[in-house]
Amino acid sequence: MRVILTAKPRKKPLIPVEAETIIPRHFRQGRDLTVWEGNRERSLRDIFDVMVERTAAAAEEVEVILRGDVSRFKRVGEYMDAGKITIEGDIGMHCGNFMTGGTIEIHGNADGWLGREMRGGRILCHGNAGHYAGSGYRGEKFGMKGGTLEILGNAGDFAAEYLAGGEVIIHGNAGDLPGVEMVNGTLTIHGNCSRPCGNMTGGTCTVLGTVRGMLPTFRKNSTLLHGSDKIPLTVFEGDIANRGKGILQVREYSYDD
Amino acid sequence: MTELLLRNACVIDPLNRVNGDVMDIAIRDGWIVESVGNGAEVIDARGFLTLPGGIDSHTHICGTKVNFGRYMMPEDMRAGRTIRKGVMHATSGYSVPTTYGNSYRYSAMGYTSILEGAMAPLEARHTHEEFSATPLQDTMANTLFDGNWPVMEAVKEKDVKRAAAIVAWTLAAVKGFAVKLTNPGGTEAWGWGKNVTCIRDPVPHFEVTPAEIIETLIRANELLRLPHSVHLHCNNLGAPGNYQCTIGTFDLVPDLNKERQSLYATHVQFHAYGGTSWKDINSKAEPVAYSVNRKPQIVIDMGQMMFGKTTTMTADGPMEWNLYRLHHNKWSNHDVELETTSGIIPVYYSKKSLVNCVMWAIGLELALLVKDPWQCLLATDNPNGAPFVRYPEIIGLLMSKRYRDEEFRTIHPDTGKRVILDTLDRELGWHDIAVMTRAGQAKALGIAKIGKGHLGVGAEADIAVYPIRIRDTDPSRDYAAVVSAFQRTAWTIKRGRVVCRDGDVVVEGTNRTIWANSRVPEAFDMGRDPEFVKKFDRYYTVRMANYPVQDAYIPRSGCIESEAVL
Amino acid sequence: MLLKDVVCPYCACLCDDLDVTVEGNRVTGVDNACDLGAHKFQAGNRLPGPVRPTEKGWDRVSREEAIGFTVDMLLSADRPLIYGWSTTSVEAQSLGIHIAEEIGGVVDATTSVCHGPSILAIQEVGHPGCTLGQVKNRADVVIYWGCNPIEAHPRHLSRYTMYSDGFFLENAFKERTLIVADIRPTESANVADEFVHLKRGGDYAVLSALRAIVRGKTGSIPSHVAGVSRAQLLRIGEVCKNAKYGAFFFGMGLTQTVGKYKNIRNAIELVDELNRHTKWTLTPMRGHFNVYGFNEVCTWVTGYPYAVDFSRGMAFYNPGETTAVDILARKECDACLVVASDPAAHFPRAAVEHLAEIPVVQIDPVVNATTAFCDLQIPVAVTGIDAEGTAYRMDGVPIRAKKILDLGYPADSEILREVYQQIRDRKKVREVKPV
Repeated sequence: MRVILTAKPRKKPLIPVEAETIIPRHFRQGRDLTVWEGNRERSLRDIFDVMVERTAAAAEEVEVILRGDVSRFKRVGEYMDAGKITIEGDIGMHCGNFMTGGTIEIHGNADGWLGREMRGGRILCHGNAGHYAGSGYRGEKFGMKGGTLEILGNAGDFAAEYLAGGEVIIHGNAGDLPGVEMVNGTLTIHGNCSRPCGNMTGGTCTVLGTVRGMLPTFRKNSTLLHGSDKIPLTVFEGDIANRGKGILQVREYSYDD
Repeated sequence: MTELLLRNACVIDPLNRVNGDVMDIAIRDGWIVESVGNGAEVIDARGFLTLPGGIDSHTHICGTKVNFGRYMMPEDMRAGRTIRKGVMHATSGYSVPTTYGNSYRYSAMGYTSILEGAMAPLEARHTHEEFSATPLQDTMANTLFDGNWPVMEAVKEKDVKRAAAIVAWTLAAVKGFAVKLTNPGGTEAWGWGKNVTCIRDPVPHFEVTPAEIIETLIRANELLRLPHSVHLHCNNLGAPGNYQCTIGTFDLVPDLNKERQSLYATHVQFHAYGGTSWKDINSKAEPVAYSVNRKPQIVIDMGQMMFGKTTTMTADGPMEWNLYRLHHNKWSNHDVELETTSGIIPVYYSKKSLVNCVMWAIGLELALLVKDPWQCLLATDNPNGAPFVRYPEIIGLLMSKRYRDEEFRTIHPDTGKRVILDTLDRELGWHDIAVMTRAGQAKALGIAKIGKGHLGVGAEADIAVYPIRIRDTDPSRDYAAVVSAFQRTAWTIKRGRVVCRDGDVVVEGTNRTIWANSRVPEAFDMGRDPEFVKKFDRYYTVRMANYPVQDAYIPRSGCIESEAVL
Repeated sequence: MLLKDVVCPYCACLCDDLDVTVEGNRVTGVDNACDLGAHKFQAGNRLPGPVRPTEKGWDRVSREEAIGFTVDMLLSADRPLIYGWSTTSVEAQSLGIHIAEEIGGVVDATTSVCHGPSILAIQEVGHPGCTLGQVKNRADVVIYWGCNPIEAHPRHLSRYTMYSDGFFLENAFKERTLIVADIRPTESANVADEFVHLKRGGDYAVLSALRAIVRGKTGSIPSHVAGVSRAQLLRIGEVCKNAKYGAFFFGMGLTQTVGKYKNIRNAIELVDELNRHTKWTLTPMRGHFNVYGFNEVCTWVTGYPYAVDFSRGMAFYNPGETTAVDILARKECDACLVVASDPAAHFPRAAVEHLAEIPVVQIDPVVNATTAFCDLQIPVAVTGIDAEGTAYRMDGVPIRAKKILDLGYPADSEILREVYQQIRDRKKVREVKPV
């Protein structure tokens, strides 16, 4: 089953739309779906041109395609457990919150909190991601616990904050404090970043670019050669401000002294 | 004039010795009367269990510490959200709900009066502001005196009357209801990061002991003729082996009042631990209950703990610090100058934790081992042992041995070696539950005389009708039906009006604040005592003129007056 | 007439010992206040009544019209924003929150541009705090980090810390040690026993280093951390551990610099760590008079201290998403009610630009930068001068601000109550008779 949702022009295009109903399972069930535009509840068909091709026996067989301007659409794919969502352009905040299975592919950029508290499944973002990619929610002790979040562009600040499981891969640069409060899981940054892993207690973070403002509370342990390219990395343990036993391995780094 | 007739109610009203009679209750302008006219509105209770409105004699629902629990836990807030609907405001929170959340959920359970367990006098205005936003229950505030400098100075001078005068001035100033001691002396020591371990440790600098503070204030309380007794959170809460401290404290208590206890000891589950460490902790509910059984001057509440997520919050700052070091989750603390302190941490009580399983058993053991239900009231120290929405399950557990056994099979397998719960066959009856959830509270708090906790003519028409017929129900077997009935009334009536119907709140409501004003002779007016005024001005950061809670904060005042005998 | 024990309506020190002389309906003298506080009692620039801009200037409108306009604006909006609150009473703030709830709007306070990060940090690790009298009576070590109390909270030192004798400190000035940490030498740094001169943006690293030092893990600390020598860090670690009672105060130099709430979190965790050795507490130097009151009332009503979005009928909270400055900068909202603050003077340009594009109503006593963006301004009394009401001090102590003049202006709470009531009437909110 393929569901193509093409966003109609809206009178106030900058008002956010909350669209947590958009997950593959709901379309297989043929439910009447609604979304919220600001404080008004709208039928899905008021907001999108909806085209459905074929039927599906299971949510796994459903692909939802979002076209048009959905850059202000939040919570798409929240609690998604199977199937696929393809976003042809940019997507708004909280895409893939709590997702446990299936795949979300974003061809443009993603706004903040991409894959927040993700549990499983896969998100692939071809563009950049905003702040708090793969992070947790305010006050919670654990953020993302499982699944894979891969960002081909850059990520904003606080990427993988409170990471507790699963894998976050950022091919471009990350902003400030990626992996801050990380407790478990794997974070890989192919580009540069500043002050990674403040207060980490567990997990592994690898930075293949350059780290600025390396924190003074990581203990240098050893060196290793990373991957098939044998990239030399310095391995730190920390954060010793917090009895941390996390691993931070970086290619180049400088302190802010 | 508004009249209401509640027909065919199956009434249990322990204070009036009514036990399961089917009768009509007539209500006029908020009060229960002999009869009403033909024009009265009629509700047919269809033989449902009808009790006086529930009273919680120890809960944390309003004030600085409670609000800080909400403030620091957005994750708890999102765990219990409801939308704005009809006259109901949006609510948030599971273990520390918003004020409307508390009020609506208590109302759905048939509760019409609640006592905030700990109010720091300096921050009383805050508690009262939140009371005003708790519209469906009448509210009272325990007022903290555990680390009060002028009181400790009076204790040191062995001047009971001066201690009484300070209490009277403070209660009137902050519109407080009763004297609360939380880890007396320990909260002052916590000002230096220290604590006292039990009743004989001296308080740093002030050179008084907790025992002296407790004894002095029990006597002072009775000199003031206050409605409630001293309300005590014993020293050394939550520590293995603390039961001896608890029993030692109970041994201090004289029997000074014919109408009620002389000491209310709260959340005793947390104070009935044997053993020497977390490794060998075991239940000492038996000796504690034995002590209570021999002392009519003492009333306790269970402080039952239930498995699951909750938040601990207490004026016992040093205890919270110890818990923080155990759990290493987030920790808040708030010390209040010249008065007291408080602490907050979130917890998860797990069936996998042997310690937690022992705690769970102790609360139930206390309720089953204390012979007289008037001496052991049902509470969880909400939310410390569990959020109050768990009360119905506790009722079910007390009424059904089968339910307890089923639960027992799901908890840590070693629990049986540490507790005796599994050997107790007692099952409490409907009347016992009515005592432990309203009549006993009304008596212990001294508010039966203002029409609380009973359904006799002259009582305030606070009534809970539960959708269950006791003659058709065997609680031992049908405990699930009992739990479900106590979770949601068919009707909750407050001050003669239906406020909640099948769980939905139908009125805006206005709360009334019940507070105690003991009139003292002029010579004992602390507002004119040079020494008291001088120290106040020197050491508080708020001017004495700005300290008392203005009448604007008490839109509906329920003042209980008394004449002090000094 | 001399009025004693008047509460100052300026900053969150909430000094309540002012002597104010009133003659006729005018303040003629203010004693005990700092210059900032005294000035507030004299401030003019007040509009005579509600005004709307026209092509030529400003037109007076009646109170009824003004309230009607506000209600229409709020009810017709799809994403209304209600913002401000830091200089009014808790009673008014409560009404504002309920209005947002009723119309499905977002309500936020100036918190989001001052101590919002402190709250986010507290939500991660808690807050070891106290009332200011604890500090006054006990503290022998005081730290001011990223704040300059001598200029921003001028009586903080004399009422609560350095110059205030206390029960356990008979000669406070001699017995207390003062540490100031900042990126530049300030007036406050000049009176400190120890000045920690940090590089800009270095707070997080320095606090991390101090935490490790207090834990006894000094080995990996480099010779300098963000401009601060290892020797000084070790020295400060010792002073802190050996205190009888330590008090840590911090301001916007910590909350609004790079890392934001993670800086505060690090400070809190340093204080937590120090509590394993001795007694320490931490207090944010809240700015405006009653900004903390908003956080309190918003919490007991909605569950969250600020930045609450009611668009779905229940409270949703996520600073960065539901904060006023972000909503404006993303041009999300389609109407804005501003109460008791001046966003046009303090917000980034992108946010202010959007205010010019949407209908804006301001309820505020004075003409300010936001006035220029208004479609309507309703002047009201100043809470603490010509209106009374509750305010919360920076440490959470609630104090009732007094009404000392009657200039004929309504209190904000009166206007807001009318707005709220009209909205509820229009939405037909009423009690239903149960069957």
